[in-house]
Amino acid sequence: MPDDRALVMRRVGAALSSLRSREPLPVHPEDGTGASSVCASAARANPVAAFVTQLASVGGRAFEAPAPLAEWLTARGFLRGYCDREALGALAGAFAPPLSLDTRFMADRIDEYDFGITRAAGAIAETGTIILNDALTSRRLGSLAPWVHVAVLKRSDIVPTVSDAIRALGTDPYVVWCTGPSKTADVEGILIQGVHGPGEQLVLLT
Amino acid sequence: MTREPFDRFAADQSEERRSSVRGGAKAGHEARGRALEADGVPFDRLRSLAARIKQHTLDHLDAYLRAATTSLESRGVTVHFAADAQSACGIVTDILDRRRAIRVVKTKSMVTEEVELAHHLEQRGIECIETDLGEFVVQLARDRPSHIVKPIIHKNRAEIAATFESHGLGPYDDTPEVITRRAREFLRRKYLAADAAITGANFISAESGRLVLVTNEGNSRFCLAATRCHVALVGIEKLVPTDRDVGALLDLLARSATGQRLTVYTEFIAGPRGVGQLDGPDEMHVVFLDNGRTQVLASDCRQILRCIRCGACLNVCPVYRQASGHAYRGVYAGPIGAVLSPLLEEPGRRFLEKADLPRASTLCGACHEVCPVDIPIEELLVRMRDRAKRSGATSGSTPSMGAWALVASQPDAWRAALSAGRLLAVLPGWLGPEPLRAWRDNHALPPWRGGAFRRWLEKRGAAHAR
Amino acid sequence: MTTFDMACRREPAASRHVKLMVTCLCDLFFDDAAAATVEVLEHLGCKVEVPEDQTCCGQPAFNAGDWSAARRVARHTARVFAGDEPVVVPSGSCARMVSHGTLVLFEGEADPREASVAPRAWELCDFIVNGLGVTRWPGRVRARLAWHRSCHSRGTTYGEAALTLLRSIADLRLVEFGEPEQCCGFGGTFSVSFPEISRSVGGLKLDAVMATSPDGVVSGDMGCLMHLDGLARMRGDRALPVLHVAQVLRDALRATKDEG
Repeated sequence: MPDDRALVMRRVGAALSSLRSREPLPVHPEDGTGASSVCASAARANPVAAFVTQLASVGGRAFEAPAPLAEWLTARGFLRGYCDREALGALAGAFAPPLSLDTRFMADRIDEYDFGITRAAGAIAETGTIILNDALTSRRLGSLAPWVHVAVLKRSDIVPTVSDAIRALGTDPYVVWCTGPSKTADVEGILIQGVHGPGEQLVLLT
Repeated sequence: MTREPFDRFAADQSEERRSSVRGGAKAGHEARGRALEADGVPFDRLRSLAARIKQHTLDHLDAYLRAATTSLESRGVTVHFAADAQSACGIVTDILDRRRAIRVVKTKSMVTEEVELAHHLEQRGIECIETDLGEFVVQLARDRPSHIVKPIIHKNRAEIAATFESHGLGPYDDTPEVITRRAREFLRRKYLAADAAITGANFISAESGRLVLVTNEGNSRFCLAATRCHVALVGIEKLVPTDRDVGALLDLLARSATGQRLTVYTEFIAGPRGVGQLDGPDEMHVVFLDNGRTQVLASDCRQILRCIRCGACLNVCPVYRQASGHAYRGVYAGPIGAVLSPLLEEPGRRFLEKADLPRASTLCGACHEVCPVDIPIEELLVRMRDRAKRSGATSGSTPSMGAWALVASQPDAWRAALSAGRLLAVLPGWLGPEPLRAWRDNHALPPWRGGAFRRWLEKRGAAHAR
Repeated sequence: MTTFDMACRREPAASRHVKLMVTCLCDLFFDDAAAATVEVLEHLGCKVEVPEDQTCCGQPAFNAGDWSAARRVARHTARVFAGDEPVVVPSGSCARMVSHGTLVLFEGEADPREASVAPRAWELCDFIVNGLGVTRWPGRVRARLAWHRSCHSRGTTYGEAALTLLRSIADLRLVEFGEPEQCCGFGGTFSVSFPEISRSVGGLKLDAVMATSPDGVVSGDMGCLMHLDGLARMRGDRALPVLHVAQVLRDALRATKDEG
């Protein structure tokens, strides 16, 4: 297999050797609020409320208890779902027929799942973002393939800002920030919700 | 003197196409403005920080490449280096061959287009499907993207529907929801049957080895969740020192590109799938690509490497809005393309083929004004023009400056020309030097007043003490 | 590091003895704009010297990438304007060429002579407001004018300075029009090498301006105005007077004299 490591590194070194001056390591500003101090202060004051507001603004929806969630799904005909085993407890028995749940994801029946329920690793209040990772999601496809994704989120896991969430990235090799349902505006700039990922992003707060 | 082919291309476009591009670009620019204003974003302060982060990384790229390689390798990622397009394609093919991978799904990535990876793989019997909706349409239609963020900005729904119909994706239906649903269903089958996923990367943090992928559709999540081998092709300039620095760039990227605070999905990938996870790659590769970047790094236009591919410069550019991305004849269009495209080809024949691109600008600087990493694009364009001239790029269209410089450095000759120009008023439109004729095709000439101001001064001098 | 900020927070001008750079466009086509500039400066108590050997700042060759031609002209200009006096320029693009472009042209030389003129070059309104500290303009102009901020004023204090003065003139109303950040499409030789794009872009600017039915268009750059005026007359628009900001300032003064 060709590998040009030495060649490329030599070229980089040569390119930099003629520099008369080099930009020093920049210092981040002390306050670290990032882009939006407006959102950040609201998010710090009340992370849960800010998260729920921002989630709605990006097209998502939050539920404070499992029963209203079950009602919402039933009313819209989203009846068959997958649920991570560890997330079952949060449903507190509210999911009765006609709703049905698999706790083992059957990849060959992927299109039969109307919804997928998995655990969130956290959330970002100022942007309405849900944080998922490999450790807390048994099956990535369970959070991605069905039209509806429900993220089970502990209120205490909501951090105020993007900067906080960067600090909290941790050691998981796969972290994904989900800010609302999947979207595209490729066709004439018209916004369509639900492309390859979920068309509905729901959160169950615990 | 001949008219620039770029100008002719712009003029020959259909009104419909021009309108699509102009409308899409304008909407993108306005969305950016609303996003910055709504959140009270201190844009100049943030972009100044972002610029310094990127420039610092570039100025110490050798150290950061080494650090990134160490971080990646410690996380179980195999790191490769490709000096050029051919090498990159060879490395990727070898990786796929070792896995006996014959079906690949890929995300939108400018570097993969730069090296023409999909084409290379197809020729070797490896199916390589674009999964970003816009790129998927481009691939089906055997077209080329017209914008780095919105590849089919130039197409309307009718054209897309016709393409889908001719490729068996159902009878003609140009409803955007139907188009999107059909793509979802078709590509889902492809994800689930694929052996490997190819992506680019928006950033790589040297500190943690994390790749950052920024998308809206869910295609990159699906590419990775459904396959077992991940190959990321990444330009060497995509490095950033720390995760915190990534955060600073994320503050501006989506706002600049689409007016969102964050794109729907921001993935941080530090290696193959986690222990206990059943979906996702068990093997991960990063291929760092040079392909002319070290040349750019050595040049006086190196700041262009700060680019984070947001597309804001395209959206605001009056020339891009009239010409569309295809006028730039390459992977990178708009102001960024006018600098980067010829520079990546330098030196040689292919540089000269692109040397007209830096001339396709009024140097208005709107691109610089919106750039989240403060690249002085209008200055780089002039430097590129100097470089083109010194490389012998002939421009049939630019008036020769030698004769003009002679007159403009000799006061007597200048003063004589001030009087002689009176003839212009009596010259018929089709006579006179080519630049004058070209001007008069579109403009009424102002009256010639050469020498009038100086005479006015003299008269005054006689009346006032000077 | 941030190259865009032209760092125009300069020290106020030490003296009112200034040199005037006429600019080639005013020398060839727009003598009244140059004359108005002289009158405006003299109103402010300046002694205005107009070196007769001056020609051009070198911008056309610089922008075309013919830097050896540009250096030749820039050297001549630097010689003609040698000294300590502020050099006042009734053109944002020419002022920027002298203060910024010259430094780029001679960056390969250690301590070039030509660099001495760069910090002394002032666009006219920038000189009045930031050089002399004058922020209110006397007189009146009864008109609704569209202010066209030329692109070369980006990253400088010229545009703000011009607005400060114009907004202070009694009875003068500045109208807002759509897409003000968009270029007029002139770009110097661009208008000749890319005529279709130049015309289309200029047409959009004219449409936006005309939609507000102004009495005229005012700008600090005759290049933009020559282009817009030429296009408008060619396509048969209703007559739209184009004015250099110096002419508006001078006309305001004349109103005072007429009344007084």
